[in-house]
Amino acid sequence: MDHSVAEKDGVSIVTLNGDVDLESSPIAREVLLAAAAKKTAVLVDLAGVDYIDSSGIASLVETLQATKSNGSGFGLVQVSEAALRVLELARLDKVFAIYPTIEDGITGES
Amino acid sequence: MPLNPTVAIVEKQENGHSVAMTRSATTAEHIEPEKSVISEQLSLLAELGRDFATSLDIEVTLERAVERITSYVDAEGGALFLLQNENTQLRCEASTGATDITGIELASDHGIVGRCVQTNTGEIVRDVSKDKSFDGSVDDQTGFTTKSILCAPLSVNEEKIGAIELINKRGESGLFDDSDLQLLEVLSSSAALAIVNARMAADLVEQEKMRRELELAAEIQRNLLPIAPDPNSPIFGVNIPARTVSGDFFDFFELEDGRIAFCLGDVSGKGMNAALLMAKTASLYRCLGKTSDRPGQLMAHINAEICETSTRGMFVTLVGGIYDPKSKLVRLANAGHEPPLHHLAGNKFLAIEAEAPPVGITTLAVPDDGYVEVEVSLADGPLYIFTDGVTEGKLTDGSMFELAGVEKLLTENMDQPLPFRLNSVVNEINRGDGPLHDDITILGLDAATFGDLFLDFDISAQASELKPTRDRLGPWLRNSGISIAEVKDIVLAIDEACQNIIRHAYGGDSDEKINLKITRQADKLLIYLRDFAAPVDVEAIKPRELEDVKPGGLGTHFITEIMDEVDYLKPDEGAGNLMKMVKIIGKSQ
Repeated sequence: MDHSVAEKDGVSIVTLNGDVDLESSPIAREVLLAAAAKKTAVLVDLAGVDYIDSSGIASLVETLQATKSNGSGFGLVQVSEAALRVLELARLDKVFAIYPTIEDGITGES
Repeated sequence: MPLNPTVAIVEKQENGHSVAMTRSATTAEHIEPEKSVISEQLSLLAELGRDFATSLDIEVTLERAVERITSYVDAEGGALFLLQNENTQLRCEASTGATDITGIELASDHGIVGRCVQTNTGEIVRDVSKDKSFDGSVDDQTGFTTKSILCAPLSVNEEKIGAIELINKRGESGLFDDSDLQLLEVLSSSAALAIVNARMAADLVEQEKMRRELELAAEIQRNLLPIAPDPNSPIFGVNIPARTVSGDFFDFFELEDGRIAFCLGDVSGKGMNAALLMAKTASLYRCLGKTSDRPGQLMAHINAEICETSTRGMFVTLVGGIYDPKSKLVRLANAGHEPPLHHLAGNKFLAIEAEAPPVGITTLAVPDDGYVEVEVSLADGPLYIFTDGVTEGKLTDGSMFELAGVEKLLTENMDQPLPFRLNSVVNEINRGDGPLHDDITILGLDAATFGDLFLDFDISAQASELKPTRDRLGPWLRNSGISIAEVKDIVLAIDEACQNIIRHAYGGDSDEKINLKITRQADKLLIYLRDFAAPVDVEAIKPRELEDVKPGGLGTHFITEIMDEVDYLKPDEGAGNLMKMVKIIGKSQ
């Protein structure tokens, strides 16, 4: 897995790529929680995620809760087919705000 | 969208000539209709809008709209014209009043209506006899006398569609006024939108109809393929169409004496015409094949039939044969097809070249007693027949699979059952990461028998081992004949089960092993995961409550959600835990 963090219109955009699994999810978790700690809205771009497991999903849930507790927005953008399937299995596809594009996510969460 | 196109009013001048003036926007300020008139107009607009929005039949709606508008403005007649024939013609689509002119056609720049369309400008012509553009021929035909005309263009986003024309205002003055024109313009813009929407809807319906018809054709084609036999059958085939319908085909069927007749073909071209010729050739082969002993002769009959009736320029490359399980001998003929490969000992591949041109081109090049037959013994190794969609298939890096790639994969998987080998070739091209360039079809014949499909390997109980494990499981599961979507789910479940072992049984990364055994029995996939840690309290492994949005505890839920059976067992011998998972393949998800 690789990742990058950017900021646009006051929103943190965390991009995850590749496989988010037991080995790589601790890094994803760290990056996501650091973004949430900035108390700005956080968007996670999942377009390049080929695989995500329960530990990766758990990091997303934890970040959702962290942003909720400091009152900022959280959304998933450009969710890949592979990631969407796992969100559906977890019945979390309705819990997370999911946006087709980064622009939609910024409008929706900022 | 020009809701208010520039409006020209053609006034009768003293000198008898018509002069067009452009009305300024302020003119509207002089018109102060009573409130009741405004509300009447609004309700007419609302009524028409509703009608357009709910209309299923645009022609009926237009007819009704013209009637309502004509009667509201109190004109003697009204007509709606639409552009057609690449905007060269105007056709009256709906009309009301003294004469029915629906269906009349005129050049798109002809008459007052034509001028209105071309200039995209509404007009009041109070005396048509003074207007040079007026064409009296319609009046001549109908016996009606046109005195004055009110005309507004129909257009959406600068796209000209047509115009609405009202003729002869009733009442004392007999003259259309500015408020009539304003109203007609508002009504015509909503009509224009409705027409454009209706056209788009009709296009969509047509596309959907085509798609459904194509789907039906594809289903009929799929039914032409033989039912997948037992995995241990000596013959197996795979066909993946590049589009909805396929120009490739294969077939096999048992003859009364236990021999198996088979064929594989590739029709030139793609699309529906190729699909139809494919259906014809496959049907001829199946029908005639049941009574024929000699594939070469049978193919000569099919050639004659197709030459007689086929569309010019279309042909079929075809291999046909008969396999006798008792003698393990195959007799086959090749009509212009990619050479079948006989996989011999020492990893040699013998190509069986075509001796004659494809079927459907000429009867002259085919010997009187049929296409030349070749005999191959499956005791020497399996036989593979495939279309050029296989050899010319694109690999991940964009290069062609080529014969060498096919031979390499068949060699690597030579110890695997026949369906696995064929799937491994097909899945190299059909990866689900983009459209296929050509149909892929492969048929294999093998006299050797294989046991159940089996995979058995150890991994170290470490997080870093999970990705290589997934990368190994994915292709194996695909080659076992499992769909991409199901493979992804199964890989996730196995990964989660391994994680549970690493985290809970071994308490984190460990040098200890996890053993994975997977076998496929008919539609059942059995997965065994064994560890060598202290026994785990099975009660402690429970899926989390899904309503409870908390991190963690999800893995076990994924496993139970994906698998049809999950059991925690004690290994037959030694310490550790054994987990058994069963997945029914091909069940709708």
